[in-house]
Amino acid sequence: MNPTPLLQVTDLQVAFSQEKIEVQAVRGASLTIYPGQTVAIVGESGSGKSTTAHAIIGLLPGTGRVTGGSILFDGQEIANADKKKILAVRGSEIGLVPQDPMSNLNPLIRVGKQIAEALEVNGVATGKEADRRVVELLEEAGLPDAARRAQQYPHEFSGGMRQRALIAMGLAARPKLLIADEPTSALDVTVQKQILDHLDRLTDELGVAVLLITHDLGLAAERADHLVVMYKGQVVESGPALEILQDPQHPYSKRLIASAPSLASQRLLAQNRTHIREAAQEVAEETADEVAAAGSEFGRGKETIIEVKNLTKVFTIPGGAPWDKNEFTAVDDISFKLRRGTTMAIVGESGSGKSTVANMVLDLLKPTSGVVEFDGVDVSTLKGKHQQLAFRRQMQPVFQNPYASLDPQYSIFRSVEEPLRTHAIGSKSEREAKVRELLDKVSLPWSVARRYPSELSGGQRQRVAVARALALEPEAVILDEAVSALDVLVQAQILKLLADLQAELGLSYLFITHDLAVVRQIADEVLVMEKGKMVERGSVDSVFVNPEQEYTRRLLDAIPGGTIELSS
Amino acid sequence: MPESPIALPGQERFVAAVEETPLADTGSFDDTGSPENQWQEAWKQLRSNWLFWVSAAILSVVTIVVCFPQLFTDIDPTYADLSRSLDGPSKGHIAGFDKQGYDVFARTIYGARASVLVGLFATLVVTLPGVLLGAFAGFYGGITDTLVSRIADIFFAIPLLLGALVGISVINNLWPNRGYWASIFTVVFALAAFGWPQVVRIARGSVLEVKNLEFVNAARAIGKTRRANLWGHVVPNSMSAVIVLATVSLGVYIVAEATLSFLGLGLPPGVVSWGNDLAAAQVQVRSGIRLGVMFWPATALAITSLGFILLGDAISDALDSKSRNRE
Amino acid sequence: MWWYLGRRVLQAIPVLLGSTLLIYAMVFAIPGDPIAALFGDKPVSATVKAQLESQYNLDKPFIVQWLLFLGNALHGDFGMTYSGRPVSEVLAEVIPVTFKLAVMALIIEAFFGIIAGFYAGLKRGKLFDSTMLIVSLLVIAVPIFVFGFVMQLIFGVKLGIAPIVVGSDPSIPDLIVPALVLGLVSFAYVLRLTRTSVVDNLTGDHVRTARAKGLSDGQVNRRHVLRNSLIPVVTYLGADLGALMAGAIVTEGIFNINGVGNLAFQAVRKGETATIVSVVTVMVFIYIVMSLLVDLLYAWLDPRIRYA
Repeated sequence: MNPTPLLQVTDLQVAFSQEKIEVQAVRGASLTIYPGQTVAIVGESGSGKSTTAHAIIGLLPGTGRVTGGSILFDGQEIANADKKKILAVRGSEIGLVPQDPMSNLNPLIRVGKQIAEALEVNGVATGKEADRRVVELLEEAGLPDAARRAQQYPHEFSGGMRQRALIAMGLAARPKLLIADEPTSALDVTVQKQILDHLDRLTDELGVAVLLITHDLGLAAERADHLVVMYKGQVVESGPALEILQDPQHPYSKRLIASAPSLASQRLLAQNRTHIREAAQEVAEETADEVAAAGSEFGRGKETIIEVKNLTKVFTIPGGAPWDKNEFTAVDDISFKLRRGTTMAIVGESGSGKSTVANMVLDLLKPTSGVVEFDGVDVSTLKGKHQQLAFRRQMQPVFQNPYASLDPQYSIFRSVEEPLRTHAIGSKSEREAKVRELLDKVSLPWSVARRYPSELSGGQRQRVAVARALALEPEAVILDEAVSALDVLVQAQILKLLADLQAELGLSYLFITHDLAVVRQIADEVLVMEKGKMVERGSVDSVFVNPEQEYTRRLLDAIPGGTIELSS
Repeated sequence: MPESPIALPGQERFVAAVEETPLADTGSFDDTGSPENQWQEAWKQLRSNWLFWVSAAILSVVTIVVCFPQLFTDIDPTYADLSRSLDGPSKGHIAGFDKQGYDVFARTIYGARASVLVGLFATLVVTLPGVLLGAFAGFYGGITDTLVSRIADIFFAIPLLLGALVGISVINNLWPNRGYWASIFTVVFALAAFGWPQVVRIARGSVLEVKNLEFVNAARAIGKTRRANLWGHVVPNSMSAVIVLATVSLGVYIVAEATLSFLGLGLPPGVVSWGNDLAAAQVQVRSGIRLGVMFWPATALAITSLGFILLGDAISDALDSKSRNRE
Repeated sequence: MWWYLGRRVLQAIPVLLGSTLLIYAMVFAIPGDPIAALFGDKPVSATVKAQLESQYNLDKPFIVQWLLFLGNALHGDFGMTYSGRPVSEVLAEVIPVTFKLAVMALIIEAFFGIIAGFYAGLKRGKLFDSTMLIVSLLVIAVPIFVFGFVMQLIFGVKLGIAPIVVGSDPSIPDLIVPALVLGLVSFAYVLRLTRTSVVDNLTGDHVRTARAKGLSDGQVNRRHVLRNSLIPVVTYLGADLGALMAGAIVTEGIFNINGVGNLAFQAVRKGETATIVSVVTVMVFIYIVMSLLVDLLYAWLDPRIRYA
C-alpha cells in the first residue's frame, strides 16, 4: 500500500531577474514528502534550499518567480497559483517557521496578538477564544508562564523564546506541513537542541510533516527520514538520510560529509593534530631563540607565549538615575597559558565573554584588573611607540566577519601591504615581493592583488585576512570566530590552511569559537567559558572524552549529529 | 535515528549525473574585467540610472551658462530701457522686458552665476568643517564629542532662515556697499553659519558606525595610530552619506539664496541673480500681468536646483545598492 | 523615565542659553543708532536719548543686557518694542496665528504625504511612484514663494475662492491656501520618508512571516507595514512643527499674515534687539519642547524604546 504524497515538487525552476538578466536560482529540483514525514534539504549558501522552500508557499522575495515545474500540495497545483488559492493554503495547510527569530516577529505588536492573528485569518478562533488558544499554543511550544508572556512584546523575549513563539505561530492553525527554514541556526547550541527536540516531539504528536531547511548535515541526518542535498540550485543527491550519510555517491555529498565538523568521523583528525603540533613547536622554539638573541624586550616567556592572569573586565552601564550604575562583569577572573606552537581554544555561547578576552589579549581593550603577558612582558607596561609596535608585530588578529574585516576601499594588495608599510618594512619592491609570497602562502593567485574585497568570496576574503595577519611574521595569531561565518566546505579549507601554516611557521593560535565541533580539529587545549567565568580547562582529548562539568557535557551533547556512526 | 523504510515512490535514492552538476573550484574567482572598488561599482550603477543622465545634462548646460554666459546672449543684462518696461516678447528678446526695462532672458542667463556660486560655496564652507568636526566628535568621543555636539545643537536650534536673515542684516549694517564677491560671501557665510550642524550630525553618525568595524580594529592591531586610522580607514568609509548630503545641499542652498533675496536680504540689488529678479517680479505677479517676468528666472532656478537634487538622489541610490549587495 | 526627562531638560538649558546669547551677540554688533532711527529726521534731545537708552538698557555692555533680558524673560517680560509696546504682548498676539497656520500645514503635509508615500512605496517602480518621485523633487527645487504667488494667483485672483491677502485674526478657511504653501516642502519630505520606510518594511522578515500566516496583502499592509513605517515619519513631523513656524516668514509675507514670521522680519529690518531675541528664544523653546515630545511619542509608538 502506497500512501499519497503530501507534497510533490517536480522539476522546479525558479529565476530572479536582475537588470533584465534572468538568474536561475533553482534548476530542476524535485522532492516528495509524505504525511507525517520529516524531509531535510541540505545545502550551503547559494544552493537554492531556502528559495525552494519559499517557492512552495509562494513567498519568493523581490523579482523571484517559478519559471517551470510543478508543486503539487495535497493533489493541488500551487506553483504560480492565483492569490486566493495560495492564501487558502498558507498558514492553514502549510506553516512556516522562519530562520532568524530576532527579525521575524513584528516588534510593535504583542506576541500573543501576533499568534492570535494566525488563528483569526485562518478561521480557527476569534476574540477571547483565540486569546485562550494562544496561551495553549505557547505552552505547547514549551514556553513557561505562557499567559503572561503572551502579553509581552518580542524584545522582552530571548532568542530561544522567540523561536518558540514562532513555532507556536507556525503550528497555530494545525497545518499538514511545516516548513522549518534554518529554525535554529541563529541560536546557541544548547538552546538549539532543546528547541529541535521539542519541535520533533510536537510534530510527531500532531502528525505534521516537516520540511527542514538546513546547512548542517549532522543536524539534518539526526532529524530527518529523507535527505535532499542541493548544490548551486540543483539536487545532487537524495534518499534515506542514513544511507546518504554512510554511503554518499555524488562527489559533492562526499565532500560535504568529509568536511562537516560535527560528524563523528572527524575524530580521526585528532591524530593528525599531534604531527602538526610537534612540527609547530619545533619551529616556534627556534623563532623564540632568535627573538631572545636579538635583544628584544620580548623572549623571556620561554615555553609560554601568552599568559593571562586573573583577567577581569567590568563594563559600567548607566542606569536611569545619574547615580544608578549597573555593573556588568563580562569577563570574570580568567587565567590561562598559551604554549608556544600550540592552539588554545576558548569556547562559549553568546554572552560568555570570549571575544572580550580576545580584545584584551590584543590590547584593544583595557582590562579592569588582571594581567596579559606576552612572551614574558606585561602588555600594559609597554611604553612608547617603539615598544608598542614591537608588540603589535608579534601578535595579530583574524576576525569573524569576512565582509567587515577588510577595508572595502583598499585593494587586496594595499590591505596586505598595510602592516608592512605601517612598520616601515622594506623598500617598495621588497614589500611587493612579500605580498606576493603571502598570497601564495594562503593559496591565492597573484592576480587577486589588484582586486577589491567586494569582488572576492567570503572564503577568499578570509584567506586575505590571514595573509595580512601573517605579513609581520607574528608569533601568535588571535582567531576570533575566524571560520564561523563560512560555509562548511570553505571552513574546512581554511582550517586546513591554518593548521598547515602553524606547522610551517611555528605559530601559536588563540582560537575563539562558539562551535565545539571545530575545536577538535584545530586545538590542543580548550577553555570553556560561561557568562564570563571559566567552567573547565584542559586538553582537548580529556575535555571531549571526560568532561568534568555539567555545562561542558551539555555543550558536547548538543553538537548535532555527534552520535551518528559513519562507516568509513 | 529513524529507521529508513523501503523507499516510497518519489523518495528512491537519487544521484545526479556528475557531468550535469559539476563542482566549482571554491578557490576560483572571476578575473575578467577590471578591478572595481565600491566607488567604481557605484559609478557603474549610476551610469545605468536615467535620472543621473538627466541631471548630468542639466548640470553640464548650467556649467556652460555659468562660465560663458556671453555665448547665449549678446544683450547686456545691466542695460535698462525704461521705455520698454514690461514689453512682451519680441524679436531678439524672446522673454520680453521687466519693469525696469531689463531684458528678462539676458538677466536669466547672467543670473545663473551668482545663484550657482552661492550654492557651491555655501556647500563647500559647510561641508569641510562639518566633516572635520563630525569626524573628530564621532571618533574621539568623550569631551570632544560633548563639546562639538552641544555647540552644534545651539546652532541647529536656531532656524536657518531666521538666523541667516539676522546675520545678513548685521553684515549689511556693518559693511554696506560691498563688492560682488563680498556680497556673495555674505550670503554664503550666513547660510553656512546655521547649516553646518547638519553636516556634523551626519558625519558623526557615519563615523560612529564605521569606527567599530572589524577592519578598523584590525588596523589598530597592526599598530596604526589613531590618527592614521581616522584618515586612512574611518573617514574614507564614512563619506557616502556626506557626499549625498552635499549634492542635495547645493540645490537647497540655491533655493535658499533666492528666498533670502526675495525677502530683500540676500544679494544686494546691484548683483544680477535669479533671486533678485524673482523678488523684483513679485509686483507683476501679484497683479497678474506679464507672468513671464517671473517664469524665466523661476524655471531656470528650479531646473538648476533640480539638477543637483536629482544627482544627489541618483548617487544615494547607487551607493545604497552597493551596501545592499555587500550583504 | 523621570530621570530621562530631567536629563533632557538639563541638556536643553545650555542650548537655550547658547542660542539666545548667539543671537544677542549678532544683533548687538549692529552699530546704527536705534533711537535716532526711531525718531527719523526729528532731532532728539540728549536727555531724552539717554533716558530711552537706559530704559532699553542700551547703555550697558551686551553680556549685561543679555543677562537682564534672560532674567526678565523668566517673568514673562521680553522687553519693549521701539514703538513702546511690550514684546510679550505682541508675541501673544502673533504666536496663535502662526501656530494655527503651522498646525494646519502639518496636518495637510502629514495627510497627503503619508497617503501618497504609502501608496508609492507599495507600488514601487510603477508609474505612480515615479510621478511622486519627480513631484517631490520638483517641490524641493522650486522656491516656496514661487508656489506662494502661483497659488495666490490661481485661488485668489483667478478663481476668487480664497482671500488674496489675510488680515489680522484670520479664520481657518482663510488660512487654507497659505497652509498649503507652507506645508508643500515638508509634504515632499514626508512623502519620501514614508516611501523609503514602506519599501524597507515590505522586504522585512516580519512581513514575510505575516504573509506566511495566511494574511492577505491588505491585512499585511494595514497591520504590519503601515504602523511600522510611520515611526520615522512621526519623528520627522514632530520636529517639523518648529521648522514650519520659523519658515512661515515667507508665507506670511506673501499673504500678509500678521504672525511670528512677519514680526521677526520687521524686527530684523528695524534692528529691534528685544523682539528679534524674543522671537528666536520662542522658536528655540518650541524646537526643544517638540523634540522632547517626539522622544516621548517615540517611546509610546515603539515598545522597544524605554527610557529607563
